[in-house]
Amino acid sequence: MKLPKLKLERVLVVTGRDAVKISVLSIIIAFVVFSAFILFEGANPIDVYKCVFSYAFDPKTGLPTMIHRSTLLLFATLAFILPLKAGLWNVGMEGQLYLGTVGAFAVAYAYGDLPSTILIPLMLISAGIFGAVYGAFAGFLRGKFGVNEIVITLMLNNIAFWLLHALIMPPTGPWRGIAESQSRPLPVSAWAPTIWRLPFTVVLAPAISILLFFLFEKTRIGFQIKALGSSQPAAEHAGINPAKIAIFVMAVGGAIAGLSAYHMWAGDPSFRLIPRPDAYKGIGELTYWGIMVGLICLLNPLAAIPLSIFVGSLREGGTVIVRRYGLTYGLDRVFLGILFLSFIALQFFYRYKIVRKKKA
Amino acid sequence: MSVLSQKIIDLFGGRKEERSQLSEKFWANLKHGEVVLEARGITKKFPGGVVANDHIDLEIRAGEIHAILGENGAGKTTLMNILYGLLKPDEGEIYIRGKKVEFKSPLDAINLGIGMVHQHRKLIPAHTALENIILGHPKAGKIVDIEAAKKEVQELCDKYGFKIDLDAKVWQLSAGEQQSVEIVKALYRGAKLLILDEPTSVLTPIETERFLKSLRSMAGTEIAVIPFITHKLPEVLSVSDRVTILRKGKVVKRLETRKATMEALAKYMVGREVLFRVKKPKVKKGKEILRVENLSAISDRGFLALKGVTFSIREGEIFGIAGVSGNGQQELAEVLAGVRKASGGKVMFEGKDITHASPLERLKMGIGYIPSERVRVGSIPQFSLMENIALSLYFDREFSKWGLLDYKRIREHAEKVISEFEVMAPGIYTRAAHLSGGNLQRLILARTIPRTKKLLIANLPTQGLDVGATEFVRNKLLDCKKEGMGILLISEDLDEVLQVSDTIAPIYEGKFVDIIPAEKARKEIVGAMMTGARAK
Amino acid sequence: MWPFIARCLEVATIFLLAGIGELLDQRSGVLNVGIEGLMLFGAASGFITALRTGSLLVGFIVGAALGAVFGFLHGLFSITLKVDQVVSAMGIWIFAMGFVTFWMDKYSGPLRIPSPRIGGLLSPMFFFAVVLVLVVWFILSKTHIGLKIRSVGEDPSVAEATGINVVKIRYLCVIIGGLLGGLAGAFMCITYLGLWSHIPTQGMGWIALALVLFSMWRPPILLAGALIFGVIWQFGIAPETLIPGFGLPLGVCRMFPFIATIIVLAVISTPRFRRKWGLAKPAALGQPYIKE
Repeated sequence: MKLPKLKLERVLVVTGRDAVKISVLSIIIAFVVFSAFILFEGANPIDVYKCVFSYAFDPKTGLPTMIHRSTLLLFATLAFILPLKAGLWNVGMEGQLYLGTVGAFAVAYAYGDLPSTILIPLMLISAGIFGAVYGAFAGFLRGKFGVNEIVITLMLNNIAFWLLHALIMPPTGPWRGIAESQSRPLPVSAWAPTIWRLPFTVVLAPAISILLFFLFEKTRIGFQIKALGSSQPAAEHAGINPAKIAIFVMAVGGAIAGLSAYHMWAGDPSFRLIPRPDAYKGIGELTYWGIMVGLICLLNPLAAIPLSIFVGSLREGGTVIVRRYGLTYGLDRVFLGILFLSFIALQFFYRYKIVRKKKA
Repeated sequence: MSVLSQKIIDLFGGRKEERSQLSEKFWANLKHGEVVLEARGITKKFPGGVVANDHIDLEIRAGEIHAILGENGAGKTTLMNILYGLLKPDEGEIYIRGKKVEFKSPLDAINLGIGMVHQHRKLIPAHTALENIILGHPKAGKIVDIEAAKKEVQELCDKYGFKIDLDAKVWQLSAGEQQSVEIVKALYRGAKLLILDEPTSVLTPIETERFLKSLRSMAGTEIAVIPFITHKLPEVLSVSDRVTILRKGKVVKRLETRKATMEALAKYMVGREVLFRVKKPKVKKGKEILRVENLSAISDRGFLALKGVTFSIREGEIFGIAGVSGNGQQELAEVLAGVRKASGGKVMFEGKDITHASPLERLKMGIGYIPSERVRVGSIPQFSLMENIALSLYFDREFSKWGLLDYKRIREHAEKVISEFEVMAPGIYTRAAHLSGGNLQRLILARTIPRTKKLLIANLPTQGLDVGATEFVRNKLLDCKKEGMGILLISEDLDEVLQVSDTIAPIYEGKFVDIIPAEKARKEIVGAMMTGARAK
Repeated sequence: MWPFIARCLEVATIFLLAGIGELLDQRSGVLNVGIEGLMLFGAASGFITALRTGSLLVGFIVGAALGAVFGFLHGLFSITLKVDQVVSAMGIWIFAMGFVTFWMDKYSGPLRIPSPRIGGLLSPMFFFAVVLVLVVWFILSKTHIGLKIRSVGEDPSVAEATGINVVKIRYLCVIIGGLLGGLAGAFMCITYLGLWSHIPTQGMGWIALALVLFSMWRPPILLAGALIFGVIWQFGIAPETLIPGFGLPLGVCRMFPFIATIIVLAVISTPRFRRKWGLAKPAALGQPYIKE
């Protein structure tokens, strides 16, 4: 038997449909590879998957927390997508989340006696502004001076981490609570009103998704962002100011990540304060998966919604398999890691396709 | 199994270890006048049906300088790329010293002692001349003995009369010195047969003279046999021993140079004495729209590339800047488009100072720019045709309201201009990446010209286009002129500048050598000025 | 005072090892922004190995080897599969964060194997790192392979035309870069910290990356930068050794190295330095090499 001769062919631009195929295929590959991993750990993969998703989507058990964490992830994803549409890598969602935390809590502690209807919007605005300023700073350095925004946002993440640390940890820390290494609790008026055990902010993130979709598709600034992200020299010649756009996308991205701070701490009944550093760091690390979600959903803010829920359900459902199957903690992260790597490997097909060689 | 593993290696871009230098053995006992290279029936067709080489036979002997003469597009460069292994011929065979050879890549040719100096430089600008010369040569050894290598290279330079500062970075060298570096590099690798593609096109007259002298001395030592590709007649007459003349991909004549005259060569090269000429429409020049005073600019590399140019353009005037690339034209165009800062001088548009205006402000004033890099700067490949056209509409009130783009109007406009400029594409949602060079340029014109009201800057608008597209672009420029626009045309093609411009400014090293009305411009004189010679 | 200086030099060692590997990577035109991830893998595997075998040397070797594996993976993605280098490196970094969290969940706490230190103060690894920097410097500037590496980073197509195997050179560099990144992580975890805690790198890999950008791809400047940042980092951890009674809280002090990095990067990006920096930058950095 003769094998058909295959050869590689350059792809000029990947079509939307091919790109979606690549994303879906990477999810399938991740399931297959991870199944082998579970077998290796000594469990039946299908049972494990069933268990993970039935826990995550069961309203009695995992669903509220799952939706809450998925929403946080969606915020992070959107904060990542918008700058990357303009060609900027915002990996500073962690820092922007922490800064948003500072903004929200500062307002709540200072004006805790205001009624909820005023206090909560104030906290949201403040969180957004703090995040926006933090993002805009990186955008400014990148836009005006061309400083590598990846390194800068990463540095800002670490600075923000230690800023929260300095606020809640030392004995003289201004926000130190009665319990050690936690902040003072939020006043009751700052708690997020809940609808069916979920904070109202779970509606906010999808709303931003729709707004961003609208921004990219219909508006002038969205067009400028896409042009800049596709080709900086061409955009510059078409009269688009790269510095202005860089500051805009990073500020709005930062604001979105900042808003998620309110959602996170005021929206989950088990927090309503800033927890210990390793706990808030754990939440901060969750935002990095927004990078993966953003890339796999091909920077489409609407596709980010189901994908965030998928990732969120894996994370939430992952907690239960530890208990039920005696599997090691953190397997869900391994799954996501495999998903990310298989997605990257498949990016090969953004540039090439394999075709059957024709006889001359 | 080994086939499979080789396939995997090929897929990964690997290649077997460098073969040792074959050339020394291969070229032993070379006699003067021996036929060293023979090409028989070389034929090359390009996609689209262009026959670049049509059964070409060529014979090159040791110790001679063999000129291959032909107009632009006659197939000279294609032929030489085939001899160097860059292109594979569709038909035909190549023999070197009687042995049939087949080149898979330039490396095979290099190993057999063939060197090529390209029209466009293949050097690493950030490295020194010496580093470029010894790069990849097995003789350089594991630890580079800079002093020894330098001595050896210096000897080579002295032998053939090349003067190069070996420790200078290549980007600091002039075009002529860079070319010397490439020749020395080829010689150092043991080239016995040196292919020079349009070697004098970037040289000043003085450099050309010096270069031709080195060429003679190389041929005199009998080690180098040199095909020399050109369209410049005086050079052929002064240095070559034999000439092969190509026209439209075919060999039309072979003769010995001493029996040739300038007139005879010209006749063979051009064919019948009919040259197509674009009819220049008579347009009354209006008032002055652009005035540039003593403008200077700094290049990306940090040196003064544009050294104070002064000129003005009036309505209905085509102002042609002729020059070899790298003499400050690019910087001038970018300063006028607003994407590069001027380091001195003034730009006045309709009496207003726009020296510091942003690109957007200039676009809004009706200044259009056709950049030289069509794929990187002129268009966005991932964008559809409509989106590419929207790049020059989005800021206009007519096409956007309250920050929202009016895609209905944009679509109408796009459909209109695409048919008007004859862009061949399945539809306005086709991505620009799928357009060919000529079509892409039509798209860029369709994007720019309808939005241009007063001044059009066209930077190398016909470079690399086929005859049809070139004709189209030139006629569009003349149409713009008829509508009363002022046009700044930057071109390396002297014929083009002479054909369409009303005023001609040869540029050299960042300065205009002169500004001449088209009626008084003669091709020889402007051509000399492009390479730095002053008008008397 | 001396213990403090020795600790500074050990931090500098981490930056040097990770930085010189990244410098080599970048000189060949491959940007690997994920050194933090390589360090994490090196740290985790080195720590476990040392814990299980009781041998520090084996720990270093395994850490370096795993770093090399992930350096190779980055090469596979970005060189062979021609994936965007930033996407590939980001993926490896985030994979590292996830996987190491899972892998090391059972382990935490001190290693309890003291590292050999000269005079009880300074690990010999410091001298190894300094020598390594000098060796890389020598290779890049004086040897033919160094010239080839630099050429591949400047213009792979020109390099290929002179018969250089671009793919091989780039793989060589990313693997060595990964190896050194892994070694840096192992050294950090085994010797400098002597314990495992969650994500122990704490941004050191990113600072190493910033140092490479700051060094304009010259090993001697990297050496100087690493020493300075070693001091700043250690000062952030124990400020009172240098200034007794230093009043700022720990959180604020720990910000210093990150703030300093931002300042340094902003300064070298001002117009005065920018052009020089642009000239020094390997021209093909970050671009996959695609043969037409």
